[in-house]
Amino acid sequence: MLHVENLKVTVEDRLVLDGVTLEVREGEVHVLLGPNGVGKTTLLMAIMGVPGYRIVSGRLFFNGEDITNLDMEERAKKGIGIAFQKMPPVRGISLRTMGEIILRTHGVDDLSLLENAAHRLDCFYLLSREVGVGFSGGEAKRAEIFQLLLQRPLFSMVDEPESGVDLDNIALVGKALKELFEREQVRTKRRSGLVITHTGYILDYLNADQGHVLMNGRIVCSGNPRDLFEDIRTKGYNECLRCER
Amino acid sequence: MSAVGDILQTIKEKAEGALAKKAAFGPDVDLSRFYECSPQERIESLDEVSSQLKEAALYAGVELENPGAGTYLQVDRSAVYERVLKPFEGKLEIMSVRRALEVYPEIVSKYWWKLIPVDTDKYTAFAELCFTEGYFIRVFAHQKVDIPLQACLLISEKSRVQSVHNVVILEEGAEANIITGCASVKGSEEGVHIGVSEFYLERGSRLTFTMIHNWGEQFHVRPRTAIRMEDDAFYSSTYVLMKPVASLQTFPQAFLEGENANAQFQSIIFAKGHSHIDIGSTLLLKAAGCRGNSISRVCAVDQAEVYTRGRLISYHDDTQAHLECKGILFSPGAKIISIPELEVHGAPKARLSHEAAVGPLEEETINYLRARGLKKEEALSLLTRGFLSIDIPGIPSLLKTYIEEIIKVTSRDIM
Ligand SMILES: Nc1ncnc2c1ncn2[C@@H]1O[C@H](COP(=O)(O)OP(=O)(O)O)[C@@H](O)[C@H]1O
Ligand SMILES: [Mg+2]
Repeated sequence: MLHVENLKVTVEDRLVLDGVTLEVREGEVHVLLGPNGVGKTTLLMAIMGVPGYRIVSGRLFFNGEDITNLDMEERAKKGIGIAFQKMPPVRGISLRTMGEIILRTHGVDDLSLLENAAHRLDCFYLLSREVGVGFSGGEAKRAEIFQLLLQRPLFSMVDEPESGVDLDNIALVGKALKELFEREQVRTKRRSGLVITHTGYILDYLNADQGHVLMNGRIVCSGNPRDLFEDIRTKGYNECLRCER
Repeated sequence: MSAVGDILQTIKEKAEGALAKKAAFGPDVDLSRFYECSPQERIESLDEVSSQLKEAALYAGVELENPGAGTYLQVDRSAVYERVLKPFEGKLEIMSVRRALEVYPEIVSKYWWKLIPVDTDKYTAFAELCFTEGYFIRVFAHQKVDIPLQACLLISEKSRVQSVHNVVILEEGAEANIITGCASVKGSEEGVHIGVSEFYLERGSRLTFTMIHNWGEQFHVRPRTAIRMEDDAFYSSTYVLMKPVASLQTFPQAFLEGENANAQFQSIIFAKGHSHIDIGSTLLLKAAGCRGNSISRVCAVDQAEVYTRGRLISYHDDTQAHLECKGILFSPGAKIISIPELEVHGAPKARLSHEAAVGPLEEETINYLRARGLKKEEALSLLTRGFLSIDIPGIPSLLKTYIEEIIKVTSRDIM
């Protein structure tokens, strides 16, 4: 579904990604691990096509089509979506309006989906608030995933869904992600994604297929996400550089 | 000569002395280039209004098809139609101010040029000497008028001056929502509109006032507005200008005389073309518990030049008011100049504040919306709409659509 080929990305003229190669197949969910500041967010931004994350070489393919030079709204229309690590304040636009716009943009007329999704993510009381204005860390995360649930991308990228979310709400977020990726549907699993995580909590819900460790601008290690996570927890990221996996 | 006659004579003399007096702000307009408005025939029913006038009214927020609790329609120099809906008879009155002066001569001593000196500038002087009607609205004590009143002032001819004088009185405990739409009809691109408005809000009354202007590109507009507020009175004003004008200058004053009076001003300005706009409000907080806000949202495109002013003046310790101006420049030829003034006179505990910010829409926010699938121009128009926070109660949905359309077209232009 998503094929990243030897991607090199600069941010403000600094090379952050130095040849990332990654393949996520239909129905698969991968997790991306790595120390702070290695470029995990940068990879998601580059896949989404956010201006400022400049692809200097390499290619991106989505369902076989080269999307390296597409605008981000075209990527979104093709089925790529993102829950940002940081939600900017969107003044004058309520979360409800935002939700309606997302549904309409993606051809859904049934507005009842909106309130349903809001309930499931405990976002109902946020609907009348301006998007991202004065949201706590946890509220921002829930509101991001709420929007993804409405957008229903074929390929969803989620940047640190659990950071700032208290333990009670982790279950909400975890369940929403499971729904987003249709992890419970065995036969018809079509949706895929890439999730950045720092903690193991979210793994309990995701049952991810593969994990990758990003360091020094490249993916240095890939494998079973639980094993990877366990190794990192006991030995630290530096071991990853030496690892032969 | 009667007492009323004496007063009027004194007013006229003062006005004559100010005919050449330039206004404190805004470009000077040579009124001698323009002609007087013509009289128009009265109509018995709004069905007689031409579709052209109806359309002009609609784009100024007045839906003539859907009558208000009271309706006043003026075309050029004549009040052509005034009506109070049946259920509201006895609760309010709405009529041409000329008739009101005949029926209630005491208006002259109580309300006529009482808040705005007739010799303020040449425009007020002109409004007195070449007065072409205006509306008189009175809502009787404790009447709550829950559907809007409509006043519509149209200009259908070229190169005219329309100079109206409006008087609004809300008696004790009365509540009303007035929508005033002012517009020129297609084909009358050039002209002058002078509007003197004196509002009297008695104890505990509440007035929500919306004024929408929709003039031609060669119009000069000079509203002169003042509001006197007694104890517990509430006033909320929204001014909307979305279309290019040659110049517009207005600086309404709210006199918060009574305790706990509360005045809220909002201006929503979308300045296009070569518009020169100079707009603001003054709040004079004179008693305990007075509160106020003066908020403006300005988008300037093309070569438009916008001055936003605000003056908060406090005379009492227990007062609080805030001034806020936010602006976006969409093109390098446009200008926004924000001039806030806070004055406190011997009231060390008064709290006045202001906040001004001029800057572009954030790239990060535009990208955020694009990541959800919105085209760049859709994102811009949505954010601009959000920025202007156009959510005015009681305006026709067609006008809303029209405002959105203006923003949409402009977002496309400024890409
Ligand atoms: N918008 C940006 N402007 C400037 N530098 C950035 C920006 N985004 C990321 N960077 C830089 O790129 C590097 C990678 O950042 P990021 O992708 O956010 O890392 P991670 O998500 O792995 O913590 C860091 O050095 C960071 O400072
Ligand atoms: Mg990050």
